[in-house]
Amino acid sequence: MHFGSIRYERLCKSKGLEARTMPVPRSLSSSCGTCVKYKAEEPLYDPDHDEMEQMVICNDDGSYTQIYLAEGL
Amino acid sequence: MTEKKNDKLFIIIAGLVIGVIAAALAFAGNPKNMGFCIACFLRDTAGGLGLHRAAPVQYIRPEIIGIVIGAFCASFAKKEFSSKGGSAPMTRFVLGFFAMVGCLMFLGCPFRMILRLAGGDLNAVFGLVGFVVGIFCGIFFLKNGYSLKRTYTLTKSEGYWMTILEVVIFALLLIKPAFIFFSEEGAGPGAMHAAIALSLGAGLVVGVLAQRTRLCMVGGMRDLVLFKESRLLLGFLAILVAAFITNLVLGGFKLGMMEQPVAHTDGLWNALGMLLVGFACVLLGGCPLRQLVMSGEGNADSAVTVLGLMVGAAFCHNFGLASSAEGPTPAGKIAVIIGIIVVACIGILNTYVKEKAAEAAADAA
Repeated sequence: MHFGSIRYERLCKSKGLEARTMPVPRSLSSSCGTCVKYKAEEPLYDPDHDEMEQMVICNDDGSYTQIYLAEGL
Repeated sequence: MTEKKNDKLFIIIAGLVIGVIAAALAFAGNPKNMGFCIACFLRDTAGGLGLHRAAPVQYIRPEIIGIVIGAFCASFAKKEFSSKGGSAPMTRFVLGFFAMVGCLMFLGCPFRMILRLAGGDLNAVFGLVGFVVGIFCGIFFLKNGYSLKRTYTLTKSEGYWMTILEVVIFALLLIKPAFIFFSEEGAGPGAMHAAIALSLGAGLVVGVLAQRTRLCMVGGMRDLVLFKESRLLLGFLAILVAAFITNLVLGGFKLGMMEQPVAHTDGLWNALGMLLVGFACVLLGGCPLRQLVMSGEGNADSAVTVLGLMVGAAFCHNFGLASSAEGPTPAGKIAVIIGIIVVACIGILNTYVKEKAAEAAADAA
């Protein structure tokens, strides 16, 4: 998340995933950050990407399920 | 979808309330078109604490204290308070420092730029043009992968320091010990202020609303350009409209460039000053108001940025960099140019140099 998101978006696109960078939804984080929304069968983890803070699944009812939280956060 | 709509409605209402409060404060004693100005008020506070000795601009502004404490309370109540930091603190300090150099060239932060526009000060139009250009400069780096790396959770007490500091400063305002400086009546903007309770109350309301809405003067333009997302910009526009109407009703509207309150007419330097502000604030991830709010939420990086702003303000007056109603100073012009160069270097260092290092690491693997 945050500034690293534009790089992450590129990574998603390079794997042929539909992805879009956008501001972080208010309910997830209060800092003025950015995130990447993408569509995939499997979550895309990137070991080299040390800036990701969290990853969530967008549920159909508009809520979020957290599937990844960075260490020390 | 409805959540999104409510979000937009909330930030519009919050913006309208903040706009009315900000315009009205100028009639309650604050300088004209300066109901709120994060840059000016941090500068006044730095002066009040004796960090600079510019006699016209020394006063501990309760609005600043209110914003931080309001944001602290709101984030605490909503369980959003958390001690965070560690994302390039010294880089943020430097960005904060030069953002202030830009603000004091123009004579106002982005918030006051809106209030000046709402008061009919056409010099602020030059500022707005520069501001937008500066934001585009910042966005250029964002698009190419600029990053100050992520924040980390810090020890619990870390996040409280800014709020504690503000409480102490507020105590100094009330006790008025001999080592505190207040501008004397008629000395300048520092001597013009609303009653303490009123200023503090206004700050608290703005702090709470800004925390809940994530209002940010820079974020609005950035999100619109980068993500076609208009929510934050609506808050910006709501403040403008509400302050404009309040000024019309109370008789504070005066269209023109000449003899505007606490402003000068040098269009080029008004624009370049705000260019520096927009540029630095995009790289920081938020305008001075937003930095104050986040420092109340426990963000140590934002707290360091606020300290950078204050130290910047002190230097501006000690070194004669700040403009006055007479216009910019030669030293101030040099400082703004240096600032733009330094901020551009920070952009380059945290975009391309890092990208290369990452590529090298990837190649090695």
